[in-house]
This record gives sequence, structure tokens and C-alpha cells, in this order.
Amino acid sequence: MKNSPKRIHLIVFLATSLLTTISVNAEEDHAHGSEVSDTHEQHDAKGPHGGKLLEAGDSQVELAIFERGVPPEYRAWITHQGRPITEHPAKLRVTLTRLGGQQDTFHFTATGDYWLGSGVVEEPHSFDVEVTLEVEGTSHRWAYESHEGRVTIRSDIAAAAGIRAAIADAGIIRQTQRLYGNTVMDPNRISHIRARFPGTIAQVKTNIGDNVKAGQVLAVIESNESLRPYKIRSPLSGIITARHANPGEFAHEQELFVIANYDHLWAELRAFPNQMNQIAVGQLVTLSAMDRTIASEIKHFLPNESNLPFMRARVPINNVEAAWTPGVWVEAEVVVSEQEAPLVVDNRALQSFRDWTVVFIKVGDQYEIRPLTLGRQDSQFTEVLAGLNRGDQYVVENSYLIKADVEKSGASHDH
Amino acid sequence: MIEAILRLSIQQRGLILSLMVVVLVAGTWSFQHLPIDAVPDITNVQVQINTEAPGYSPLEAEQRITFPVETALAGLPNLSYTRSLSRYGLSQVTAVFEDNTDIYFARNLVSQRLAILKSELPRDLEPEMGPIATGLGEIFMYTVEAEPDAVDEHGRPYDAMALREIQDWIIRPQLAQVPGITEINSVGGYNKQYHVTPYPQKMLTFGITMEDITQALKQNNQNRGAGYIETNGQQWLVRSPGQLHHIGDIEQVVIKNLDKTPIKISDVADVSIGKELRTGAATRDGQETVIGTAMMLVGENARRVSRDVAAKLETIKSTLPAGIVVDAVYDRTTLVDKTIATVQKNLTEGALLVIAVLFLLLGNMRAALITAAVIPLTMLATITGMVQIGISANLMSLGALDFGLIVDGAVIIVENAIRRLAAAQKSQGQLSLKERLHVVFQATNEVIRPSLLGITIITVVYIPIFSLTGVEGKMFHPMAATVVMALLSAMLLSLTVLPAAVAVFMNGQVSEKESFLMSAAKSLYQPLLLAALKIRWLVVSSAIALVMACAWLAGSLGSEFIPQLNEGDIALHALRIPGTGMEQAVQMQTILEEHIKSFPQVDKVIAKIGTPEIATDPMPPSVADNFIILKPRDKWPNPKQTKAELIEDMEQVLTQLPGNKYEFTQPIQMRFNELISGVRADLGIKVFGDDLDQLLESAEAILHVIEEIPGATDAGMEQVSGLPMLSVTPKRTSLSRYGLTIEDLQQLIATAVGGTNAGVIYEGDRRFEIVVRLPEKIRSNLYELQQLPMPLPNGNYVPLTEIATITLAPAPNQISRENGKRRIVVTTNVRGRDLGSFVAEAKQRIQQHISLPPGYWLDYGGTFEQLESASQRLSVVVPITLAIIFALLLMAFGSIKDALIISTGVPLALTGGVLSLWIRDMPLSISAGIGFIALSGVAVLNGLVMLAFIRDLRHQGIDLKTSIVDGAIIRLRPVLMTALVASLGFVPMALNTGTGAEVQRPLATVVIGGILSSTLLTLFVLPVLYSLVHERKNDTQPNE
Repeated sequence: MKNSPKRIHLIVFLATSLLTTISVNAEEDHAHGSEVSDTHEQHDAKGPHGGKLLEAGDSQVELAIFERGVPPEYRAWITHQGRPITEHPAKLRVTLTRLGGQQDTFHFTATGDYWLGSGVVEEPHSFDVEVTLEVEGTSHRWAYESHEGRVTIRSDIAAAAGIRAAIADAGIIRQTQRLYGNTVMDPNRISHIRARFPGTIAQVKTNIGDNVKAGQVLAVIESNESLRPYKIRSPLSGIITARHANPGEFAHEQELFVIANYDHLWAELRAFPNQMNQIAVGQLVTLSAMDRTIASEIKHFLPNESNLPFMRARVPINNVEAAWTPGVWVEAEVVVSEQEAPLVVDNRALQSFRDWTVVFIKVGDQYEIRPLTLGRQDSQFTEVLAGLNRGDQYVVENSYLIKADVEKSGASHDH
Repeated sequence: MIEAILRLSIQQRGLILSLMVVVLVAGTWSFQHLPIDAVPDITNVQVQINTEAPGYSPLEAEQRITFPVETALAGLPNLSYTRSLSRYGLSQVTAVFEDNTDIYFARNLVSQRLAILKSELPRDLEPEMGPIATGLGEIFMYTVEAEPDAVDEHGRPYDAMALREIQDWIIRPQLAQVPGITEINSVGGYNKQYHVTPYPQKMLTFGITMEDITQALKQNNQNRGAGYIETNGQQWLVRSPGQLHHIGDIEQVVIKNLDKTPIKISDVADVSIGKELRTGAATRDGQETVIGTAMMLVGENARRVSRDVAAKLETIKSTLPAGIVVDAVYDRTTLVDKTIATVQKNLTEGALLVIAVLFLLLGNMRAALITAAVIPLTMLATITGMVQIGISANLMSLGALDFGLIVDGAVIIVENAIRRLAAAQKSQGQLSLKERLHVVFQATNEVIRPSLLGITIITVVYIPIFSLTGVEGKMFHPMAATVVMALLSAMLLSLTVLPAAVAVFMNGQVSEKESFLMSAAKSLYQPLLLAALKIRWLVVSSAIALVMACAWLAGSLGSEFIPQLNEGDIALHALRIPGTGMEQAVQMQTILEEHIKSFPQVDKVIAKIGTPEIATDPMPPSVADNFIILKPRDKWPNPKQTKAELIEDMEQVLTQLPGNKYEFTQPIQMRFNELISGVRADLGIKVFGDDLDQLLESAEAILHVIEEIPGATDAGMEQVSGLPMLSVTPKRTSLSRYGLTIEDLQQLIATAVGGTNAGVIYEGDRRFEIVVRLPEKIRSNLYELQQLPMPLPNGNYVPLTEIATITLAPAPNQISRENGKRRIVVTTNVRGRDLGSFVAEAKQRIQQHISLPPGYWLDYGGTFEQLESASQRLSVVVPITLAIIFALLLMAFGSIKDALIISTGVPLALTGGVLSLWIRDMPLSISAGIGFIALSGVAVLNGLVMLAFIRDLRHQGIDLKTSIVDGAIIRLRPVLMTALVASLGFVPMALNTGTGAEVQRPLATVVIGGILSSTLLTLFVLPVLYSLVHERKNDTQPNE
């Protein structure tokens, strides 16, 4: 009898606890989101200033990269035997070994309440860190890895995935500008021929489509004044494109022939305000239309007559083969600059990463981001001003895979 | 009442027995109509509204489509909540209704609202409701492929586009006819399109704009009917056919006249068969392919439908062009058959074992058969009930049926009847019919109350299961309902058919041979019981010690939700970073599949990338659903290897591939997760508000706060940004300088890059779009686009850079909304501390550190919420249930003491369950929990049978000790029998290793272990307790 109420209690306890523990623990097992989510790295010991805390014996260093409002710099706080050291004789040195073996060394000087490292910590902040501290006769050394934007891909897998690297080198940047425009006749090379003296047309020697040479007789007219026949000769070589003269007709003031020479045409290209300042006389041009292309250069650069906001770039077209006609719209690729750059990368290698444009360098099976400062760019190459060294191997083909691999594990920018 | 029924059943025994025929017929009919599936459907009642908006960015899709749709849905009856997703080219709104809402009713409501809405949406956009299917809907998948040397009628090899055409126009229409199929979804390849790709330079030459081309195509591609004329009594229909038929026709369409010279399409553009801008792709074994998915209508029989689909596919094969291969890659029948085979095997073997035990212990074949007859009858009655309330037959619903448990009541009745009949025959010789009926009536009446009570109690213990809600509820309600129905039908049978059958069939010489087993047991039991009665306190205290030990042991067992059904196949999410292009994703997928295929265990691997034609599962191109179909185990290099080990091996190999993240799951499981799609982490903090940047900023701040709280693991945030976007921003003054409008500019960009639909080409039934857009090398080249000439009204042009700025910047990847407001979710799981305190701390810290701008608010959700409410409900419901049981006992015995003595059976029974789990190294799970629930019922039943008899003896004036010993020995046989049948009925289930057995194993293990310990208790501790409790009175009269 005595035991019974206790038992009832036990039953309730057992039953509820069984059911609740089951449900509590059960939920954990299927709690997986289905999105690519940030998984943050394990938290190392952090100091009061948000930096990494290094401890040995009774010395302590807190090391942080400070980049708010200034270029990234190292700041450190040293404590020894529980009290902060804010002046010499502490000696703190940080050596960063980057992928590829480049080493940066920072010496620290006391600045107010913290120690400031010498120089700027260049991006990416991915390196093996070695810290040495000498304070009051003791010395300590720490070494740790602080990697970001670095991945390892086995070489056979990289090959199978089509990841190919190239060596960064100097190159030529050939920048072009696309203009459109139409072909026009050379005004020098068209002639509208009339009779000098009115009279009856006695003979017509040429017909539409005939090629004529300069000086060739086109027609013979009997002058009304002298009543003698005189010859009309072609002033230029070309083709008869119009004929309004037949024997017996009276030639007065009307146009008898039009002779045009198509050996030389002009392309009048339109350069709009955004393009104008890059265009200049003498630039090389590739013209294309109707599946033909021809090379030439800009001869004149002048405002246009209509009140539209573009300049005309006149480009001569050699049309001896009679492939072009006036009035055709042409597409023109103008070479606006062509210069040797000391370091260029293939455009296929460029990827965006955070706020940077980066390439991925390759050292063995390891790949790492290199944020770049870029200069001029053409359709194939881009000039690199900073961030990469000549001779570095960088990924050209399928560089997106490396970006995908870096970002998938949630790149954290945490020091 | 009960007596009256009994009397009637025995008197009208012929009639009652013929009623069994009714049960048989109803059961057989129902069996034909019973939906069969592998697992219960845990999808909520939801209607998806998908609006395809080609070219729309997430922001526009949200503003122009999602918002109006959401607003239109607000306030629908029974609407639980809405959530939405706006992605590139797609708006998906999911309306979730209260459970038990009729899906057709819900769809009707939604469709009415959508009809009204249409005028508010941009033209040409058509919101459509998703297929009427649930998470179990994707029952069949096949790939369409060409043999390596197969060629079409023009002698060209088949490409992905040709395969898609075959899928869409030959296979799909035929498969869609299969009854029970609501949709055939296609993914992979390309929709065939006719592409007209004009060159800017040629257009400038002729002064033609893209608009001109589109117009010309639209105006020159029509058939027109023109009524009829009657000539000489004959009627002639008049018709003017003008449709374009092929590429040559399109090329000849005249755009305009220039100096009386017609300018044709072919003068300015190329015309070719082109690829759509696809949102989904499919691969198989490292090759691009086309995948068709058959979706089953809600509530259909998965087994039958997928079998029909497979059969239909066979007949379709003969209609396909030569060299085209259609291959079923996923067939639900396989899984369903396997699981049903497992369940069947368990039930049959269980039933056979029960019958064997009955025969062995009763020593009477007829009695054994009568008792065993209860099994099929109950089964048929249960199936009838299942069909009536719409429960499908599956692993869960049939998983807790134990025929041993079901026949318990019958066993007690039959046992008593033949004991009495045999006794009566011994004293009176052959019985007359009347005498026999009387004896049967008496015998039944004697034990009917305790056995009814027992069944009632077992039924009552299932009540807490009904209090589960959400996914757990959907999972276990069918199980509980089935068991309860089986128990109730068994109860009804015990009351009617059983006495009638005994009266009819036990007519000859009733042999009640005490089998040697029974005599051995009795001769063993008596001395042991006497000994136990001498060391009463020791017995009681060791029982208490055992309970305490097991309570501790229970706490140290591992735990899981439900043992996951092993579906046999693997589903694998391959996740890439947002913004990954479709072709890039296909390329990455190809490499991935080659590596998966290199495992000798893998039969085939198929994948769906991005969104299929019907956006049942809208994924961006950066996500691929892989289905890895494994070979039968005997073909594995090591057939003993577990699936978990295989997955581990795979993960190791696959993680070396660059750029992919993986999540391993299973096909059905994956689909459920996609559809339920709520916050499945322990804690989800939803930030609601308007401005996406502000939301992102606040969510990030919250994430930082949460990460710092001890116990937080896997903290993360919904990925909403990072979609690379190229924005063409108009320069307004510049535009007006040239006399252009923003619309002109946008039209140009849309046509140039995305393409504009300019009509349809009909090839028989097949119809293909004509699309005008720039040639690929121009539209995909940023430099070319910047220089794109924009035609001016006066025939001049201006380059695009003059009138617009082109910028590249990341933009929102998707916009999620809930209940009509934008939201971002921050989630975290909790390890190593209790969830309640974590949530409290999180709330407090967020309050301290985060200040939200006005108009922004937080909502705390996640499984902690369900957990809290489930615990709260259970902590109310479980004690109430126990109180009900206690009240029932009290009513039956009229004695608190006796009721309490019987209740002690529960903890002791639980000890056996805990121990058996521990021995078999199984974790606690809801399945095991259900086992414990069933166990409590059996334990009470056993105690009841024993105690009732002892009390009866005491009532007859026999002294305490004698009545205890005599009563216990007489009841030895029924107690042993009920225990043995109940536990043996579960033995096959506990030992089975077939598909699905992992779900049932814990339940069976718990029941078997528990019954063993509970039987020991009933046989020893209970008499001891009884004697302890009743001795105090020191009189020979029982308490009243």
C-alpha cells in the first residue's frame, strides 16, 4: 500500500519521459536545411579586441588585423604576468608564409595602447602565421594556419574536370571600339556630264554599265552655234551609271551621262559621345558588311552636318574588286589602342569573389584566390596592375569550378 | 447488456455465424480498394500556384505576380498559411490548408480566386495550380534515350532536343491516360523552337527593327476559315491556309518593301531550329538525357498505378521511332512490393506461430482453429474500416498489428470455455445441446468482462498517439487507428461470433489434454510461487530496484525520431553556389555521375537539374536532385555492406570533386522534405520586413548573436543573395534626346537577349514557338550588347551604351515570403544543452543586441515549438490516459488497492522493453514508444485476468493464501498463452531483415521483452503484492 502512490508517480514519470525524450531527440536527426548555407569555422579563442589569442606560459598575445577605415594592418596587445605591456622591451614579430612561398615579416612597435605591425597586410589574408615574442627574457613561438580562399584539388580530378592553368606573362592589349556607319561615294569620283554647247546628239558611243576610261569619247554632239560636231569625253575612269542621251535628241542643259568610279568608297562611321574621345585619325579599322571584311584606317574625323550628336570618322575603302556598294551599313572594329602590358591574364580566368575580381593561382594541387587590380582590357586579355606576379601559374579554363569550390564551404573572412 | 448479447449470440448462433459471411464479403471487397503504399503520407493539405514568367527576375516576379497572388488568397476558409518563392522566371505560392481540409474543396477555392485575379496580372502570364499529388506522388521515372547509332528519318543522330520532342509528343500524351496519373512531368533536353536571329548590321542596312520582324511573322502565319458557299446544291467550305510550315517558309516572309524590293527574313536573319532558354536539365550516367516523371493522383493506389504505368510504357515502346529506348529508372512498385512482402511475411508467420501456440497449450485442435479464425476475420474487418476512413495499407499502418495481441481476448474466452466444457463432461458425461449452450454461456460470461476490460484498456493506451500533431501525427495516427480498429473488431467478435462458434463446433467429446508443456510449467510454477510468497519483501524490493535500474538505463539509450525506412535507393542533393549556370551545372554533374557510376554497387544514376517543366520542385540550376539506383545486393562486391557504409564511401570520393556540396537522403524522404519545407531546424528565427538589404543585415546580425550562444550548432541563414545580374539601366535624358521611351529600350533588350515569341509552327499536333532573338554570339557577349544599335524612329540608330548603363552586380537569388510578407530565416540546431533554455537565452540576447527598424519583426519558430506543444500535450494526455485506465480498473474491481496492484504491472513491463532494446543495442524511437504503449495494455490485461480469478476464489470464502496459489495456478495457462501469443506474434517482426523491417523491429523488440518481464511479474510479483496488501486486514474477507 505504501509503495503504490510512488509507483503511480513512477509510471507517469516513465511514460512522459519516454515519450518526451523520444520526441526531443528525434527532432535533431532530421534537422537539415536544403540550402547551401554558411558553416562557420570553429571558433578559436578570441581576445577582448576580437583578435586571435595566443598564450604560452604567463605571456599572452592578442593578434588582430584591423581594416576599418585604414588599409589592413596588424595590431597586437601583449600581456605578461597578467599586466599589459605597452612599451619596449617586448619584441614581437609576425612572419606570414603565403602559398607559393612568399614571406612577409612584420615588426611591431608600441603605439598607445596597442602594438602596430609594420606595413600593410595584403589580401588575401591567407597564410601560415608564425609569431615570436620576446618579453622580459622569455621567448615564445606560435605557429598556426589562417587560410581563406584556398582549396586543394587532386591533379587527376582537376584534369578530368578540365581545369587548366597558364603562366602569367606579358602580353599585348588591343582595345577596340565598335562603330556603325554607311558607305558613301567618293565625291571626287562621280561625274554628271552635260553638253557644253546645246546641239543635236549625233552619236552615243557608250551604254549603261560600260566601263570607260578617262578621255574616252562618250558621245558626239553637233553644236547649234558652230554647227560642227564636238566630242564629249569622260573626265574619269568609271562606269556609266545613267544615260539620258540618244542620237537625234537635243542636248540642252540636261544630264547626259553619270559616270561613277567605285574603286574608292568611303565609310562614314558614327562615333557617339561615349565613343568619341577614343577615336582619332590614323586608327586602324576593320570594316565588315555582307559577309566581307576589309582593313583600312581612319582618314578624317569631323562633326556631322545633321544636328545629331555624333562625329563622323571617314574611312577609305579600296574597292577595286567592286565588292562594295555605297549605302551599305557597315560594322567597324576600330583599334583604339594597342600596347604591350607587362602582365596580362586571360579573361576566362577572371572571377568575382566578394567585392574583388580575382584569379586563382595554382601551386601544386593547391589553388588560392589572388585579388587583382586591373588595367586595360580587350576581348581576350586583361592587364594586371597588382596582385599577381609574372611567372605565377593561374587557372584559365574552368576557373569557375575553383570559385564554386572555395565558396561552397562558406568562405569566412575572419581573422 | 453484455449478458443479453452473449445469450443472443449463443441462441442465434447460426445467424451470427452467417454474419461472418458479410464480414468476409465486405473485407474482400475492401481489400480490392485498399490503397497500398510504402509509407504513410505526411504531406500537409497544400495547393501550389506556379506562374511561369519567362525572363522575370526574382524582384519582378515577386512584385508583379507573387504579391497579387498572395493577396488574392488571403482570407480563404481553412487556410492555414501561405508561403512563396520568387525566383528567376517563376513565382510559386504555396497555400497550406488546415489538416483534413478536402483537397478538391481547397483547389476549388483557389481556382475561383485565381480566375478573378487574372486581370491584375501582366498579360500572357497564367497562374496554374500544381498537380493534385502529394509527397508520395512521384511514383515512376523513366529516361528517353537513343541508341548510339540510331538516326532519325533525315539520317541525323538524335540529340537531346529530338528526345524531348519524343517525350512530349509521343510518350507523355499516352502515359497521361493511365488512370490515377495526374501529370507527366518532363525535364531535360530542350523544347524545340524555331529561331529567327537577325544581324544588327543587316537590319540597319534595310532600316528594319526587330519589332518589324516580329510583326511580319505574326501577320503571315495564319489559317483562316471563311464560311461556306453553296454551288449547285453542294456546300463548299472556304478556307485560306497561310500557316508557315518549315524553315524555308519562314525565310520567305516579307518584312517590308524597300523601293519596291521585298526584304525577306532571309535577307536580315538566319532561321534555324534552336534551343529554348531552359530552366531544367537531366542527366543519366554522365550523359544528358530526358526524364519523365509520372505523378500519382492523391489517394490512389501507388502499387497499382505504377504497375499500370510500367505496363503502358511497354506498349508505348512499340510506337517509338527505331533506336529510341525508354527505360524505367525508378518504379515505386519495387519498394511497395518489398515492404508489403515484409509486412505480409511478418503477419503470416506471426499468425502461424500464434496458431501453433494455441494448439500446443490448449491441446484442442478445434478450439485452436476457432481462436485462430479471429485473426482473418479481424483483419478483414480492419481493412474494411481502413478503406472507410481512408487509411492506406503501408509499413506504419500495418506495422503495429500483432495478432497475438488481437486474439488475447479470444484466447481467454475459448480457454475458459473448453476448460469448463471438459470439466462438465467429466462430471456429467456427454452434454445435451442445452447443457452445452449453458456451459458455454457461463464460461464466456465468467471471463468476458475482464477480457473486454483488457481490450478496452489496450485501446485506451493508444489515445496519446492521437494527440500527436504535425508530421508525427500523420505518421502514427494511421497506425494507432488501425490497431484500435483491429482491437475493437476483435472485441466485437469475442462477444458474438466466438461464443457462437464455440457453441456450434465444440459439440463432440471435448478433449482437454493437459499438454506436457502445461503440466511441466505447472509443476515448476507451484513451488516457485510458494517460495516467492515466503520472501515477499525481497521480491518486491528487487522489483523496485529493477524498475529504478531500467529507468536509468532508458535515459542512457540513444534516441532517434522514427527509424527511417530504407527505401533501397539513394537520393543525393548536389548543391553548387548560387548563380551557377545551367551548362556549367550540367558539366559538373557529368563529372559527378561518372564518379558515382564507378561504384560497382550502383546500377544507374540519374539527375534532375533545376526546375522541371511543371515546377513541382522549383530548384535553381545550381541544385541537382540525383537518384542513385543500386544493384541487388547479391551483385555487390560485398553483399554484407550496409547502405550507410556505402554512403560513407561515396561521400569520401565525391567530396574531392570541386564545387559540389552534398546531402544524402532517399527519394520519398526528399520529396516529403521539399513539400513540407517548413523550418526543420531546432530553432528558426524569421525576420519579416520590406527591404531586402535591411532584412539581410538584420538576419546577419541575428546570426552573429546566435552563433555566440553556447550550444548553437549548424547555425546558418537562408541563402537569398548572390545571383549575378546584368542590369541595363536606362539613361532617361539620353533616351528622350533620341525620342525613345524606356519601353522601347526594354523591348529591345528583351527581344535581343531573351527573345520574343512571334507565333507558332504546327507540325500535326506538335506545336513549336517561333522566337526572334539575336544570334548567340552577340546576345551572350557583353561587349557586343553594349554596342547594340538601337534603331531610331527616323531610321538612324544609336548604340546601347549611349542610352543605358550596363552594370554587373549580384542581386537577390530568391525572395521568400510567408503570410504575405518578405522574410529571411536564421536557423540553428542545439547540441549539448536543453532546447528551452537555449531559446530563452536567444530571445533575451536578441532583444539586447538587435534593434530592428520600425516595420520589421521577428517570429520564433522551428521544431522547438512543436516539441514544446507535443511535450505539453503529452504531459496532459499521458496522465489522463493512465487515470482512465485506473478508473476502468477501479470500476471493475471496486477496490483502489486492487486497481493499484494491477497498475504496478506497467512499470515492470516497461523494464523488459528497455532491457530488450538495450540488449539489441537499439535506440529509443517513436516506434519503440508505441511498443511501450502496447505493452502497458498487455501488462494490465495479464494482471487483470489473474487478479479477477483470485478475487473470485476469495469471494467463495477460501482463505487468502490458498486462493492466491490456486487462482494463480489455474490462471497459469491463460496468462502464459496470452503472453506467448502476443510475444510470438511479434517474433517474425523482430527478426525480419527485409525492406522496411527497420521501422517495425524496435516496436516488436520492446513488446517481446516487455511481455516476458510482465509475465514474470504477473506470475510472481502480483500474487506477492496481493498477499502483502490484503494480509494487513488479517481477515479472510476480501475488501469491498
